[in-house]
Amino acid sequence: MNWDWDKLNEKRQRNAPPTPPDLNKIGDEFKKFKDIPGRFPGGAKLIVPVLILLWLLSGIYIVQPDEMGVVKRFGAFNRLTGPGPHYHIPFPVESVLTPTVSQVQRFEVGFRTIGGREGSSVSQFRPVPEESLMLTGDENIVDVQFIVQYQIKNPQDYLFRIAQQDETVKNAAEAAMREVIGNNKIDSVLTTGKLEIQNQTKKLLQSILDKYESGISVVAVQLQDVHPPREVVDAFKDVASAREDKIRYINEADAYLNDLIPKTRGQAEAMLNQARAYKEQKVRQSQGESARFLALLTEYEKAPEVTRKRLYLEAMEEILSNKGVEKTIISQDAASKTTPLLPLSTFSQTPTAGVQPQKGGQ
Amino acid sequence: MSIFKSSSVLLLIVLAAIVLITQSVFTVDQTQRAIVLQLGKPVGGARGPGLHFKLPFVQNVIYMDSRILDYDAKAAEILTKDKKTMVVDNYARWQITKPLDFYTTLRTVSRAQARLEDIIYAELRVALGQFTLAQIVSSKRAEIMELVTEKSNAALTPFGIEIVDVRIKRTDLPPENQNAIFGRMRAERERQAKLYRSEGREEMAKIKSSADKERAVLLAEAGRKSEILRGEGDAQAAAIYAEAYNKDKEFYAFTKSLDAYKKSFRDNAKMVLTPSSEFFEYMH
Repeated sequence: MNWDWDKLNEKRQRNAPPTPPDLNKIGDEFKKFKDIPGRFPGGAKLIVPVLILLWLLSGIYIVQPDEMGVVKRFGAFNRLTGPGPHYHIPFPVESVLTPTVSQVQRFEVGFRTIGGREGSSVSQFRPVPEESLMLTGDENIVDVQFIVQYQIKNPQDYLFRIAQQDETVKNAAEAAMREVIGNNKIDSVLTTGKLEIQNQTKKLLQSILDKYESGISVVAVQLQDVHPPREVVDAFKDVASAREDKIRYINEADAYLNDLIPKTRGQAEAMLNQARAYKEQKVRQSQGESARFLALLTEYEKAPEVTRKRLYLEAMEEILSNKGVEKTIISQDAASKTTPLLPLSTFSQTPTAGVQPQKGGQ
Repeated sequence: MSIFKSSSVLLLIVLAAIVLITQSVFTVDQTQRAIVLQLGKPVGGARGPGLHFKLPFVQNVIYMDSRILDYDAKAAEILTKDKKTMVVDNYARWQITKPLDFYTTLRTVSRAQARLEDIIYAELRVALGQFTLAQIVSSKRAEIMELVTEKSNAALTPFGIEIVDVRIKRTDLPPENQNAIFGRMRAERERQAKLYRSEGREEMAKIKSSADKERAVLLAEAGRKSEILRGEGDAQAAAIYAEAYNKDKEFYAFTKSLDAYKKSFRDNAKMVLTPSSEFFEYMH
């Protein structure tokens, strides 16, 4: 029961430190005063020590594991205390503040999580374009959404050095991020530079907060979503597909090359082989024909007259025995007297008509 | 009766003592500083955190925040050196360093903020007017902030205020300029996309035409080599023929003529012969 009363008292103290003179104390004095004549002997004797005891007990306070106790004596900082139960001289001499120090605070810039619990996968995001649109060094605009995590590293500075702590961190974070983005070009912001931007922003934010002696330690600056503004996102996507197109064109051309060149090599080799074949054919044919001629010549030289005659007659026989050849025999006289007429149109039409040639000798 | 009277007197004395004590003792919080006024006239310097004493009734205490305070300015349009309009949203962190000066010149935080507004805005506009938009956004940003902090500080010294930091939070463009930038960004990306595509086509044409060229060269080379081979064949054959036929030129002519006759007079030929030819030698 005492304990509850302590808490209540402590709370009251914390809420309104410069309260008017302590009622308990007045009560004490009053009771003591009344006690002297002994009009209410039993009651007063009991009430005074109880009240004094309660007052002394109100100095007990408990610091939670994630908190730090900051004790002020007459408003001035006096000491820090760690987690666990502690005692301070009761009001109005000392008072205690217990800021949460080990917990990591988090805030979002450029978007807000709405609906769903934090960290759950169903949460939805609402963009805040006035926070997220930033100018890059090459005068482009990017949409940057990020989160900042921070912790109180020095509760004394945090409580006593800066006012509006939350606004301070938030404003500084926005300023730092914009400064870093302003030093980068849009392409590096959108692609490879992200990690570097996070690190630079964290460093810059920490240096700003240190300059304010804020007692705040930046745990992390994390880019959540970095993309081109909605108005130009299609054009950016088209660049990506254009890059793919380029690769595709080159691949197509390579395919064409890979198809054509081996085929051509085959074709060239075929041409060469044909030529080689021609050469061999010619050589061998000439060798054959020469051999045949030389063989015939050998025999011819043995009996020139007969062989010559035989060859001639055999040739003529072969020619004239062909039924397809139309033969006309006229005397030498007639031949010299007739006017030669060449009936060209009938020549080819009736090849078989006419006199049968006389074959062989008579 | 007398007992009651005396106890009432005692009670009065105690109450008076309490009032006297609360009037002569005051505490200053760790976040504050205080100045003591004696009938309106400051007495002593500023008091730091802790327990202090003063004369009751004739002295009163003015408390002031000793922390670094926030001043978030309204976004304002500013003209840059290259005649571009930009919306600058800045904030400042400031502190009351000389409570007495502060009290005599400004008295309240809200009046101080109005003064900060005037001075910082003016300094910011002057500083930003010396640089181009690109410089403000990137390279000169830190320098500008430092310059403004320094200048504002000089102007605010008489008020007992020190500016810790003037920081440009947002540098945006007015909506109409923003649209112009979007248009330019789009055009830039289109240019980039076109470049990629035409580079692709360029590569494609290069590769394809070089393949075609290689094909033509390969075929021509093959043609050249095959003509040489054919020529060699023809030459060797000619040599072989010549060697053989040279043995008897006349006989060669004879046999070759006969072969030629055989080949020439085939079907659909018409021959007019006279008996005087050698073939009819024995017909007479």
